[in-house]
Amino acid sequence: MMSKTIIARPAVLLLFCVSALPALAGLTAAFWVGLDPAAMSRVVATPGIGLSIASSFWTGSVATVLALLLAHLAVALAVSGNWQRRLNALILPLLAMPHLAIGIGLALVLAPSGVLLRLLSPWATGFELPPDWLIVNDPAGLSLLAGLVLKETCFLVMALGAALGQVPAARLQTLSATMGYGPLKSWLATVAPALQQQIRLPLAAVFVFGISNVEMAIPLGPDLPPTFSVLLWRWFTDPDPAIHAQAYAGTLLLFVGGIAAILAANFIGGLARKLLRASAESGARRNTEWPVRRLIAAVLASGFILGLLSIVAIGLRAFSRQWRFPALLPDHSSSDIWTDVAALSASVATTTLALAAATALLGVALVLPAAERCKQSADARRQIGAWLFLPLLLPQMTFLFGVQVLLIRMRIDGTFIAVLWSHLIFALPYLWGLLAPARAAIDPRFDQVAATLGVSPAKRWLTVTAPLLARSTLLALALAVSVSVALYLPTLFAGAGRIATAASEAAAAAGSGNLRLAAAHAILLAVIPLCIFAIAYATGSLLFRHRRGVPR
Amino acid sequence: MRTPGWKLLVALLLLPLAPPAGAETDDWHAVVAEARGQTVYFNAWGGDLAINHYIEWATTRLHDDYAVELRHVRVSDIAESVSRIIAERSAGRDHGGSVDLMWINGENFAALKTAGLLYGPWARQLPNARYINWEGNPSTLIDGSLETQGYELPWGTAALTFFFDKARVARKPMNPADLLNWIEQHPGRFSYPQPPSFLGSAFLKQMLLALSPDKERLYAPAGADFAALSSPLWHWLDRAHKSMWRSGRLFPRSGPAQRDLLAVGELDWMLSFNPAEASRAIRQGELHNNIGALQLDAGALANSHFLAIPYNSTATAGARVVANFFASPEAQARKADERYWGDPSVLDLASLDAQERRYFDVLDTGPATLPPAEHYLAEPHASWTTLLEQAWLNRYVR
Repeated sequence: MMSKTIIARPAVLLLFCVSALPALAGLTAAFWVGLDPAAMSRVVATPGIGLSIASSFWTGSVATVLALLLAHLAVALAVSGNWQRRLNALILPLLAMPHLAIGIGLALVLAPSGVLLRLLSPWATGFELPPDWLIVNDPAGLSLLAGLVLKETCFLVMALGAALGQVPAARLQTLSATMGYGPLKSWLATVAPALQQQIRLPLAAVFVFGISNVEMAIPLGPDLPPTFSVLLWRWFTDPDPAIHAQAYAGTLLLFVGGIAAILAANFIGGLARKLLRASAESGARRNTEWPVRRLIAAVLASGFILGLLSIVAIGLRAFSRQWRFPALLPDHSSSDIWTDVAALSASVATTTLALAAATALLGVALVLPAAERCKQSADARRQIGAWLFLPLLLPQMTFLFGVQVLLIRMRIDGTFIAVLWSHLIFALPYLWGLLAPARAAIDPRFDQVAATLGVSPAKRWLTVTAPLLARSTLLALALAVSVSVALYLPTLFAGAGRIATAASEAAAAAGSGNLRLAAAHAILLAVIPLCIFAIAYATGSLLFRHRRGVPR
Repeated sequence: MRTPGWKLLVALLLLPLAPPAGAETDDWHAVVAEARGQTVYFNAWGGDLAINHYIEWATTRLHDDYAVELRHVRVSDIAESVSRIIAERSAGRDHGGSVDLMWINGENFAALKTAGLLYGPWARQLPNARYINWEGNPSTLIDGSLETQGYELPWGTAALTFFFDKARVARKPMNPADLLNWIEQHPGRFSYPQPPSFLGSAFLKQMLLALSPDKERLYAPAGADFAALSSPLWHWLDRAHKSMWRSGRLFPRSGPAQRDLLAVGELDWMLSFNPAEASRAIRQGELHNNIGALQLDAGALANSHFLAIPYNSTATAGARVVANFFASPEAQARKADERYWGDPSVLDLASLDAQERRYFDVLDTGPATLPPAEHYLAEPHASWTTLLEQAWLNRYVR
């Protein structure tokens, strides 16, 4: 239970009112409106519904398992090979890139007329026309899987990296190395299980997102039928009220499915732990681990290259008009395309940036006072973090639909404030995860020294604590901006279609299959997060170039 | 124009309902005065750059001439806005709705009109309504199978056109049999937008009309004979799918998606309701210039699109001023001009005076534009659309 003293603090209470409360209210509203047996029976009678639900769960669960495996292996390789920092720097661009942008980019890379085959045609393949291969939007969802694995591996690498501080990794490694185990096996047998305990919440979020996302499934997922979440997304936007009722009922099915999947994953996780323990206790050691290491490194590297190629492909398609296969570069690339794309993006860019900036500033302003209150209690920090994380564990569509019902009742749907609020719900858990530990890590003696000099608390915070938090705050701002830029469903549900952001425009274009237009909007999705992180890092090092020991 | 007799009859019966233009002038001044300073949220499909630019042009003109602020709310499917309005109704928001004017037709119009969620009737009271070709083009009065009754204003009209890569199509296939022949000789190079998308359903109706011996039957509600009457279509599709793009297991999601696939070389064909679409795309460098066009011998499926005002709009005066501007000879001519949009006008050019006609004299026609269709086919009764879409999904989504 949450300790009463912490929750009673106004700063913490405010945080709940902005985040967990609307999420729970939205969920309640969704159940209130959605429980309709007649609509549910129509959901079940939809052609291809079984396949649709199956492909959601198949892609979501396989992607989560593969991403988790790859993330553990990547971190194990990096730490044991002493390139942990390099790994973090490498994944940053892919991590900052929204799912939607990577999805659109991958569609442009993997399609038969995509960048990969253009690189090889016609000199190696002999193709003058693109082959008629069903790769993107394939019924088995393999390209969707590839996209999800690519993004979630990066996310889990970050989560594992953050958890590394909580685990005595070096000591465990050394211990098992003295027993004659190679670095990889010793990592997997000792450190990985300890890390795994630390990343259960982020992993569950990855799993739920994998099952319920539309951002990746719109550009890459199967079409006949689409994944369940995309089917629901189409129902939500249908003119027929009878079909709406179907969408409402369907989101409940998605919710129940999500909960069931998490319970099943927990059970399977228990089995996996037993297997791992058996393997650890078997005592088997390999003389050489390098072939395995090479193979894993190759898989990781090709995934990384695929990710970078998809960013390049977005740029190529956005700034091309004709792009007939097999030419690698667009036929005409003239300056008026730049003005075209700029004109297209100008108003969208303004809204996107204004929303992102407001989300970041307001989010940090909400989180810092609460973090100040919890600086001495790791328990409180963890509990608040878990509550804030709750919306990330729910299928977005289910509670957002409920939130939309509430917003319409309050008559603030379609306003900037409503969308800002919905973005805060998703930015706060990340801000808390970054800023609360950063605040707690500041040595209290600085503050105590200042207090003995008779400095007032407010001034102490401004002159002592704030500078020490500046770097983390800059990063937090960048993180919140990149979260806000990527959000699609919150913008759609709270924005009533009136608030057009780069994400909503790109998703709409990708939904109608118009990849050129989707790429033109995805450019913003790709550029804003990259720039903002670059600025945050640069400002951080510029501000403190004459000081040592300011926490990064 | 070929259309069932009863439709023309209804159209003619509706004509006297329009009030005489002169009596309305004063009222119209009042509307224009009321509209000043209003913001009009215009929900319109935003998936096409040229159309967006055209609406931006109108935004500037409306701001300058009428002090009306037009806001183009770009939607990926107008159905989203229809569902919004329905949601607002169920939430009791009968004033201050989020949509003031919408670009709409067919089943979306039917959904709003039958639910009583449209403001009106207003369309025939506009000053510029006198230019519209109400008599010559029954699709301006009957949308799908529903009479518009002045609840929406025709904005543009068009006919289903097939565009193809001339280098790959030697002889134009003018009927379903020849088209099937071409598809089987060129596996993987033909497709159509996925039903129930707007253009995909149109393709099903076009092929059903072209394949049916008794077209007249399709203008009455579908009944128990649906399976028998639609079976030529399913036979044709079953065979065609085997040789189509991705073997008929994947379809372009929309018209623009298909144009994209033609542009990158995955397909040799695309469909559009706009006979000028390819010419415009060529002019803008989006398509290579070796594109041809055809409309099937059986006749091209005709289709009009409209502007409607939701019942809970608070800017109905502003919305009417915007709609009236869109129906003006100047705006209609610019819309018909392929340099801007290239969407055929709904006006009766004979009703324009010399000065107004001049707007239309300077239109430029591109290389892949067909002359106006000789043989229009009206939309089958709306019940056919629903049944065709359902049957298609049941048959091909497994």
